[in-house]
Amino acid sequence: MKYATLNKKDLNKWLEHLKKSAKLYAPRKKENLFVFRPVKDVGDVVLEYVPTILPPKKYYFPQKEKLLKFKIEPFQTAKAIEGFEDFILFGVHTCDIAGIQCMDVVFRDGPEDPNYLNRKDKMIIIGIECLRYCDKYANCASMGNHVPRGGYDLMMVDLGEKFIIHINSEKGEKLVSKLDYIKEAAEADMNALERCREAKKKVFKEEFIGPLGKVYGVFDKSFGSDVWKDVGKKCVACGNCTAVCPTCYCFDTQDDLELSLNDGIRYRIWNSCQMDDFAKVAGGEDFRKGRDTRQRHRYYRKFKYPVDKFNRYFCTGCGRCTRTCMAGINLVETVNSLLSQETL
Amino acid sequence: MKKQAKPRVAFFDFTDCEGCQLQFANIGTTLLDLTELVDIVNFREIMSEAGEDYDVAFIEGSITTDNDVKRIKKIREKAKVLIALGACAAIGGVNGIKNRSSLDLAKQRVYGDKADIINTIKAMPVHEVVKVDYVINGCPVYVPEVLAVLKSILMGKPYVVPNYPVCVECKMNENVCRYEKDQECMGPVTRAGCNSWCVNNGNRCYGCRGLLDKPASDAAKDILTKYGLKVEDILNSFTLYNDSMGEKYDQEFR
Repeated sequence: MKYATLNKKDLNKWLEHLKKSAKLYAPRKKENLFVFRPVKDVGDVVLEYVPTILPPKKYYFPQKEKLLKFKIEPFQTAKAIEGFEDFILFGVHTCDIAGIQCMDVVFRDGPEDPNYLNRKDKMIIIGIECLRYCDKYANCASMGNHVPRGGYDLMMVDLGEKFIIHINSEKGEKLVSKLDYIKEAAEADMNALERCREAKKKVFKEEFIGPLGKVYGVFDKSFGSDVWKDVGKKCVACGNCTAVCPTCYCFDTQDDLELSLNDGIRYRIWNSCQMDDFAKVAGGEDFRKGRDTRQRHRYYRKFKYPVDKFNRYFCTGCGRCTRTCMAGINLVETVNSLLSQETL
Repeated sequence: MKKQAKPRVAFFDFTDCEGCQLQFANIGTTLLDLTELVDIVNFREIMSEAGEDYDVAFIEGSITTDNDVKRIKKIREKAKVLIALGACAAIGGVNGIKNRSSLDLAKQRVYGDKADIINTIKAMPVHEVVKVDYVINGCPVYVPEVLAVLKSILMGKPYVVPNYPVCVECKMNENVCRYEKDQECMGPVTRAGCNSWCVNNGNRCYGCRGLLDKPASDAAKDILTKYGLKVEDILNSFTLYNDSMGEKYDQEFR
């Protein structure tokens, strides 16, 4: 079975089934925004949502992650976590799946990161395709992530009365098989999916004023651009943009001792290139003193350096950095300023 | 760890509300674990004896009288390690608001016709009078940080106070940004370390932990202005706990 269908009235029944199969995380409302949370009541799950405050990266690259346990006397170390549990990320947008794919490239690059891989191996991703823009901040069409491009186990598309589900892995297939309410998709369903994709072409328009192919070249020439000064003036260096980014993975490590002062745990904690001390080294030298140079670095880490290293852009188009910035630093505007300078 | 004689710990309060000592007293059974590591010899929130031999002195409150100056200097002579506990001791705290007006006017306002018989000087954080070895920010102090500092003291290591804003911790806690709710919040310019305690509980940040080394005050002012605050309100937000830096912001904002 390659495609299956699920009637919407059976969605909660399926969610209950998923909840029994593995630890289930899904988007739900928090005040006027949305967050991924463990599902207690399947009625809380929402599928129409603006990208969550934090991307699902918190489940495979936690904010504060235990790395190892240690004792000072007699000196010994041990695994901090013995077993990892299977978990399902439900209702993940295609932009966030692109984020997971980026992280995968980074953490599988040698030396492999076992802390990430331990979790990733246990992860099952069930995506939901967006049929319209979540809000005005997203730039997923320019990044090509408004449509599914792999990296998931199951992908749901809303066809009105029912969902059509693309089955993309064995793990995924297990979650839809042997259930009388999930059926193999008929030809009419496939045609409906086709029409749905066609309609999307009218809804999603590239947000950048130039093609994505041009963006890399523009960044190659824009290191000295005045655009960075303008961005730097607005920036308060709060680090919100990097925390909410699905592809930011910088971290610090920290040892915490118990009150015994003999037993402790080593943690890794999210860190950010936007912090004042981030690029400070021994001797007091600071390679990125200004907020303008730190913002520039963030953008180059999305549109230039990863292209050099991994041959892919590390912006997913989710729009979180713009959405979360209280100073109003806007990714689309910044990239478009660079593109327009180029054409002058 | 080798067993050594337990360090003797004393608590002293100056001009403050004693709320930070109360935080310490409220750590519950952990207090019992602590007695394995230290001898508490002077702590009037929790005990009636008052020992005068100590190695470690926790100082709560700011220095606001000539007598305070003499007393803190004496404590400094005895203590091997001296800790500023809480906003008043660390940065002057709300007591610093007094420094905004002339001393005469401040005395008049508080003591009326008794003003002349009151000895008072400008409010100062402890480090303006004696050397401070460790700083614990906050109004009140955040207990997990108090324990972290205490462990650093016992290990003889420095405690590094974060030099990044509260937003960093707040975002990791996945709070809805206060600006999203049209509330002005001092998070972007305030030193982290409290795990965004107030915002986690539905409040906003008032800046009690003091400003960052290099707060982006110009950009922060833009944000606050965008959210409808007037210069005077912004200045008040910046200086509620931080009057020792108030003059600097006077110049920047006017």
